[in-house]
Order: sequence, then structure tokens, then C-alpha cells
Amino acid sequence: MTDEIRFEHISMEFPGVLANDDISLSIRNGEVFALVGENGAGKSTLMNILYGINTPTAGELYVRGEKITNFSPKAAIDRGIGMVHQHFMLVPSFTVAQNIALGREPKTAGVLFDNKKAEQITRELVKEYGLEVDPSAEVRDISVGLQQRVEILKTLYRGADILILDEPTAVLTPQETDELFDVIRRLVHEKELTVIIITHKLNEVMAISDRVGVMRQGKLIGVENTCDVDEKKLASMMVGRPVLFDHLEKTGVPGDVAIEVDDLYVADNRGLPAVRGVSFSVRKGEVLGIAAIEGNGQSELLEAITGMRKINRGKVTVCGADATGKTPGEIRELGLSHVPEDRLSTGVDKVASVTDNLLVGKQKEKRFNLFGFHQRRSTVERYAEELYEKFDIRGAGIHTEVGSMSGGNMQKVVVAREFSFDTPVLVISQPTRGVDIGAMEFFHTRIIEQRNAGAAILLSSADLDEVFRLSDRIITLYEGKITGEFRADEITKEEIGLYMTGTGEGAKA
Amino acid sequence: MKAFFSRLKQRFDFGYLVALVISLFVALLIGTVILTVTGYDTGKALGALVGGSFSSKLYFGNMLEYAMVLCLCGLACDVGSRAGIFNVGGEGQLILGALFAAQIGVWLKDVSPWIAIPCAALGAIAVGGFYAFIPGILKVKLKVNEVITTIMLNSIAVFICGYFSKGPWKNPSPRVVSDTSPLNRSFMFTKLIPASNLSTAILISAGLTFLVWYILQKTTKGYEMRLVGDNPRFARFAGLKADRIVIIAMVVSGMMCGLVGMFRVYGAAGKYQSSISNDYYFEGLMVAMIAQYQPIPTIIISLIFAVLKWGAIYMEDTVGVPIQIYWIIQTAVIFCMAGEKGVRAAIHKAREKRAAQREILARREGGEAHE
Repeated sequence: MTDEIRFEHISMEFPGVLANDDISLSIRNGEVFALVGENGAGKSTLMNILYGINTPTAGELYVRGEKITNFSPKAAIDRGIGMVHQHFMLVPSFTVAQNIALGREPKTAGVLFDNKKAEQITRELVKEYGLEVDPSAEVRDISVGLQQRVEILKTLYRGADILILDEPTAVLTPQETDELFDVIRRLVHEKELTVIIITHKLNEVMAISDRVGVMRQGKLIGVENTCDVDEKKLASMMVGRPVLFDHLEKTGVPGDVAIEVDDLYVADNRGLPAVRGVSFSVRKGEVLGIAAIEGNGQSELLEAITGMRKINRGKVTVCGADATGKTPGEIRELGLSHVPEDRLSTGVDKVASVTDNLLVGKQKEKRFNLFGFHQRRSTVERYAEELYEKFDIRGAGIHTEVGSMSGGNMQKVVVAREFSFDTPVLVISQPTRGVDIGAMEFFHTRIIEQRNAGAAILLSSADLDEVFRLSDRIITLYEGKITGEFRADEITKEEIGLYMTGTGEGAKA
Repeated sequence: MKAFFSRLKQRFDFGYLVALVISLFVALLIGTVILTVTGYDTGKALGALVGGSFSSKLYFGNMLEYAMVLCLCGLACDVGSRAGIFNVGGEGQLILGALFAAQIGVWLKDVSPWIAIPCAALGAIAVGGFYAFIPGILKVKLKVNEVITTIMLNSIAVFICGYFSKGPWKNPSPRVVSDTSPLNRSFMFTKLIPASNLSTAILISAGLTFLVWYILQKTTKGYEMRLVGDNPRFARFAGLKADRIVIIAMVVSGMMCGLVGMFRVYGAAGKYQSSISNDYYFEGLMVAMIAQYQPIPTIIISLIFAVLKWGAIYMEDTVGVPIQIYWIIQTAVIFCMAGEKGVRAAIHKAREKRAAQREILARREGGEAHE
């Protein structure tokens, strides 16, 4: 094997951040190379240099021995480099064939789009690479896994032989992930493509890659043959210290029912039915996990329970009291706290300080007020300082503007505030999205602490591992309906994947 | 000592202060250029512009009264903006407040001033508040953009005032066209400087200014308003009654504007007339915008603009330069301040970039030894 790509002493700085620090790395022809690291470690930046989006501040890049001087995506595509971004860049109302041809459209009479030709090209591509998709289907009608295939086909159509995949499995079910990996293996073995995968899921690194590079804080920590390392080793390389994914000690027995949802119907932002007749209950001292692919009603369900979204039909009971149609404030008073899915738009006031964000919800408490009017700022700041310490928030102190903090620390502010209410019910959505491994551990421990202390917890996460790790029971949602309910220790991830796509046996859909 | 400075830095936004001084300077420079080009005695004109307000007791008093009006209008805008609602309708609230305050004075002309004046004030506050309540409730319940509704309501207010001051509430004297009857002399606020507009209303205004500052900056209510203004979704999520806070902020803003109208009538004019406000609220609004809706800068900038305004009037009287020069300068300040954020961001970015470069170099040289 020869060196396909060579980074030599590459550095990339953004104002205030050294995103890539003196990186030298060779990627060989025909291998699957995994690039791992926590958020903000510089993986995407490095790949954006390769794809021509960023021009490095220092250092040199060679592709097939040729030194790259002009950095632009167009030049990169001409050199045979293709990138599939985490968020797909497809036109939903176009067909598969139209999307693939976009940018290099076959024409009739010089100006008109030749749809037949485009479909023919797509069929040839499908045949050549063995990636089954229907060329005439509209992209908005096909599954996320298939959309990803379209993205890959699109890059192949443009002649890519170096394929960069940015977090390709983030939106996939376990089955779709397996299928993707089959595709990658086939592309590498039969077509001799070079594939680079950016990811932070270590089990996937082990499953698919030949070699793995670990990045941390902009530096390349090491490059290993995948067969020489294990997940533990990689995790400690990523974080810079040993990471103990200890078994979380779950104690106690479930108590009374604290959340009860009965035949709930909720619409999404477009007014279309998103939750269609969902019923379940959560007891005190247990975690109920929701496993679902994004967009199957889990967001709307949690928003309806917490009062952020209108309930069309059905009933929600929180701690024995009717919560249907109440405002978020009233539901909080029934004994519910909520870690929202989107912390930036819902969970914090970005332009306010850490102090102000931690206080929200407690501002009317006697200790923070004189005569219910004058805010006792020093008491407030002392309180904020306490939580800041307790939840190990790292930043420039309690006066920092929350919007300037990293995702993980921002999430700590949200969790610190919500957990400090000590309510019997917790609704938690995406607790560790965009959070690094070290902090993930922290959040998991905290959640289980609350559970063991007797809180009823409803958890929704796109990370299936997380759902399994934390939940006592799991329900699967597909197109707004519950397709299955399981004890977490009685089902495997693969089985649950079937229920998440509505194909599980006994699926009610 | 270092700790003291860092605290000071945390409290005061020096960048803002610098930007303000620079934009004032630039604006005056533009004014100078225009004066020179148009052939006026530049030195004399500038001297009049800056010093005119202090040339006599009369000018000084009028300047302070004008600063009071600007400041109250600006603060009224601050109150709304703090909760995320932009009150552009203060002009309408102000003139309606003035009209009703004046007419209440006419109705009660035979009762004691101790009853009539508070009634007039309460009437003005109620009218202003109600007139702000309309766009407030429309925004909250029907998501109607408050900027549009308040601008429309301004026009309606002008016509309402025109109708009443020319019709049912007109001064019966045939010599006036659109004024209400003059107030009982004993109803007027005592003048602090005879013949000027400056009356004891400024003392009440000072108290009110302090109160607004205190509520916005130091109380739980002010804190809640800020949360709602910054991110209404978050405020609702956190259990605040966001809609109610928005409406209350808007109504309070309207009440303040109504009261300014009352002050104009009972402190200076002595009756309602169409010149009771010459877009004073809009000037207050500009002050608030330049002050980035912060109370203390609002006070300071009100004073600066008032000094320039009466300086410009003095300049017109003595040097003959048209007062429009004041508008040019005011507009230039607004332009410069609008660019303030961009300029500051550019400086910040350049500084960070230099720091990053230094860091790379430092790490390259010393870094290996550490690892």
C-alpha cells in the first residue's frame, strides 16, 4: 500500500482556538481509517482541510504525492475526494436521480434537464457499486439510511476515490449501521476506495477500521492498527486519562407511579400528527428510556408532557395530579424538572451569566429576596458558586456568559439547575448530545444517583448505548406509536432496532 | 488594586464608552465640515452648539426639561425592550396622555390642585397604559408584530387628539384652532427657573428614573423581564409567566409615556396643543437605542442630546445656522453607534488572532520539552 494522503505539520488556527496543532499523518491507499476524538478535538477541521473548506495556517498537504496549494471543495472534488457530511445536503423534493446528478446534470438540447439519462446513470451506479436505491423515489420519502446511500452515490458519481464520512452512524439504526459497514467494506475491497470515518463511537471503530488515529485538543495523540488496541485504550487516549465505564449501581425497587400518559395525541410544528395514541407510565425509582430514530414523535411527546406543546387528545398525570393542558410553570409545580432536547434554544438564556441561568426557577424563593422584591445578589452569587462547584462546571466562573461556554459545560449548567429542584419527576432529553466522553460519565452517574434517590425518570436519547445503559425499561416509538416495551436486560440492541423501524415482530403499527 | 480594576471592568463597558466618545467626535467633525463648506463662522457656530445650553438660565432650564422628556421616553423604551417588546408607539401614548391630562384639568378647574393634579396624572397614566395594552395583548395572543401595531396606533392617536382638540374639547376662543382651554394657573408645576420650561416635574422624573433603574437592575421582577426578553421560549420553559410579563412591561412603558405627556402640559405648555410633542418619543427611542436599552447610558445620552438640541437652537438664534445641523449630528452619532458592535468585534478578532499566533510560536519552541 502507498500513501494516498499525507498531512505534514498541519496547523489550523481560528481566532482564539488552535484547532489543529502540528499534525503529521499518512493515510494509505485502500484502507478504512477512523479518526476519533471528543467534540472540539479538531477531527472535522482536519477533514475540512482535506476537503478544501479550510486552508491550513501552516504545514503541507499531499494527495497522491502532489502538494496541494489551492484549497477549495471544487479542487478537492476534482482530485477525487468526496465528503458526506453529518447533515445531508440533499434536496428533499427531488428524486434520487436528480439529487445525484445535481451539479453535473445531463442535458438535452443543451439546456433541459435529461431526467431519463439521470435515472440511467443512477441505475448504472447502483449496479456498479451494489448500493440498492430506487432512482425515481423522492428523497423526502426514503429513510435516512437510504439518504446516506444517495449521498455516497453522489460523491462516487463525481469520481471520488477518497471518501470522507463525518459521523455517518449518528442518525442510523443498528441495522442501518451494519448495512453501511457492509457497503464500506465492499467499496474498499472491490473498488479500492480509501475511506476515512470521523466518529466518536469506539465500538464502530473496532468493527470497521483498519487503522485509527486519535485526536485530542487539536493534537494527534497517536495512530494505531485497530487490531492492536481495544476500546478502553482508545477512550483513555481520547480523554487523556483512564475512563472507567463502570457498571452503574442501580439500587432500590420501583415505587408509586409518578408519570402516567394515557392515549396521547400530539401534533408537530406543521400540524401533522406526531404522537398517535401513546400510553405508558413511569414509577418512582426507575428510568424509562425511549428508543426511537429522530423524528418519530419522541420530541413532541416529551414537550407535551412538560407543557411545552399542545395536547390534542389524551391525558398526562404527574405525581397524581392532572397535568393535561397546563403551562410548563404549573407542571413544574406538580414536581417535574426538565432537561430539554435543545439546550441552546430552550434550556438557557445564552446572553445571561451562569449565575442568572442557575437561579431561574428559584428567583422567588425567600432566601434570594427581600420583601419578595429586591434581589439579594450576594446570596444568589454564593448559591451559584455552590452549584458551580458541585456540578464541576468548568469555565471562567459564574459571571461567564453561558453562550460562550462549550456544549458540555452549558449542559452542566442546565443539569445543575434542573437537578437542584430535587423534584420527584425528571424528564431528560438528549442528556449528552454534543458532550465529550469525560462529561458523559459524569451525567450518567448523576442521573442514576437521582434514580436511586427515588426519582421517576423519563429519558430520551438518540444514543442507543446510553438508553441501554441508564434505563430499567425501554419503549420503542415508531411514527408516533409505541411498537414495543422491554426490560433493558431482556433485549439486545439489534432486536430493538427492528422495533424502532416498525418491523419488529408483534409491532402494533 | 488589580482586583479593583477587574471589577471596574466587569461593571463598566469601556469599549462602549470609547465608541460613544468617538462617534460623538466624528459626528461633530461631520458637523464642522458642513459648517465650513456652507460658509458659516465655524468656530462661533460650534461654540454656540456646544455651549449654547449654558448661555443663559432660560436655555439651561429648557435644556434640562428636554433632557427629562428624552430620558423618560428612553427609559419607557428600555422597560419594554427589557422584556422583548419594542414600544414604537410612545408618541401616541404621550400625546393621548397629554390630551386627557389637559382635559381633566379643564373639567376639574374649580377643585383644589391637590385633587386635580393627581387626577390628571392618573388619567394620563391610565390612557397611556391602555394605549400600550392594545399592541401588547395583540402580540401575546395573536403574535401580531408590535412595531407595526404601535406605528399604526401612533397615527390613530394623532387623529384622536386632532379631533378632540379641534372639536368637543376645543378652547371656545375663536382665535385658536386646535388647543384645549388653558389650565387653571394654580394647577401648573412650580417653575424652577422662571420663564423656562423647567418645573418641579423634573424632581418627580428624577425619582421615577431612579425607580426604573432600580427595578430593571436590582429586583426579581427586572431579572424575570430580562429572561423573557432574552429568550421567551426559555422563560416559558422555566415556568415564568412570559406573556404576562411582556404585557406588563408594555403597559408600564405606555404609562410612563402618558405621564410624560402630562408633564409637558402641567410643567410647560399649560394646555394641550398639537406642538405638545414634536416626535419627542422618537428621539427618546433613538437615545434608548444608542444606550443599548441600558438605563444609566440612557440618562447620560439624554443629557448630551438635550445640550446639543438647545445649543442648536441657540446657534440658530445667534449665528443663523439652521437647526437641521443638530439633526445631522444626531443621525451621525446613531450611525457610528450602530457600527460600534462591528468595529468592536473586528478589534476583538484581530487581537485574538494575534494571541493565537503567539501561542503557536510559543508552543512550537517550548512545547516539545513539556510533553
